[in-house]
Amino acid sequence: MGKLLIVNGSPRAPRSNSKRYAALLKEYLSSGTDEYNVTEKRHREICKRLGQYDGILFVFPLYADGLPVTLMYFLKELETYEAEKKPAVHVLINCGFLEPEQNDTAVEMIRFFCRKNGFPFGAALCIGSGEAILDTPFVPVVKRGLKKFAKAVERGGNGLFKARMPLTKRMFVRASSKFWEAYGAKNHVTKEEMQTMKIEG
Amino acid sequence: MNLLLSDRALSVRLPENGEDRYIDLSELKPANCTGCFGCWVKTPGRCVIRDDAVRVYPLIAQSRRVLYVSRLYCGSYDIPMKTMLERAIPVQQAFIRIHGGETHHVQRDVVEKEAVIIAYGDICEDEKELFRRLVGRNAHNMSFRKWNVRFVTEEEVDGAVCGEVQKWESC
Repeated sequence: MGKLLIVNGSPRAPRSNSKRYAALLKEYLSSGTDEYNVTEKRHREICKRLGQYDGILFVFPLYADGLPVTLMYFLKELETYEAEKKPAVHVLINCGFLEPEQNDTAVEMIRFFCRKNGFPFGAALCIGSGEAILDTPFVPVVKRGLKKFAKAVERGGNGLFKARMPLTKRMFVRASSKFWEAYGAKNHVTKEEMQTMKIEG
Repeated sequence: MNLLLSDRALSVRLPENGEDRYIDLSELKPANCTGCFGCWVKTPGRCVIRDDAVRVYPLIAQSRRVLYVSRLYCGSYDIPMKTMLERAIPVQQAFIRIHGGETHHVQRDVVEKEAVIIAYGDICEDEKELFRRLVGRNAHNMSFRKWNVRFVTEEEVDGAVCGEVQKWESC
């Protein structure tokens, strides 16, 4: 495969988990890559250069069960790209919930975009527990998924891959509580304060 | 409370009972969520971006009926409505619970609601199916007790909204 354009669709692209997933993925890719963060807002310029690439990889977090608006803006620009041969589109998506299946609808949205606009759809990797897994001993689980996914991307094939923490739901609830409590503590916010039921109160 | 949230101006008149609110998102300028988690770990329940969105998500939380009007894009709410829904995460806590057999965020003081979504545009069957699937997912995370999606053309939006609002009056 030729060059791959990695499009980071996260609204916090420069310091996002998506960036970390992309960095890990690159360890398993032999082809060259360029990276673009949608927060740079150079969509038109990037889309004009698409002829250089054999593939586009969208890396992004699940937002309100779907695509983040920051990525939707890029897709609207990509729609205007006209070429006889369009690059294959791959997807790497993560959500904070345990179940990687919660990402499936967003994958289907990208697949729909591809069908509508004549881009071949390639492979997808859905990561559950994706907010925290890279800071746990379960990193090898993600790496295994990334390795399989990278192979599929390089051979231009398709396939749907999944990765998640190997925990029961109850264990995950406990583990995620600790994760978020620690996150709050860094900001001097207690668990009780984080559990407020008030909204704008 | 009943909330009519639309991505375009509507000609509908709401019943004069003080119970109903109409928000036209095309008149507001909510920024996109930056994924900072401030509403969970810094100022719980309050978004750190103090723009138009902070008057809207409390209304979403308080409403027992919501009527969303949105153009579709790739099986999703189009950008204006999606921006607002993403900015509504202060109504949830960071903490996770098991709900409907899956892991989801704990809700703050959010009223369980009936949702009707009027989705408009030139929508093919595949996109309709995809959007229904999205709303089904949203139901878990947005406290929808019951939900219904209506697909209409752009010209049919006002009529569809009037029909739904009339149902509020008869309830």
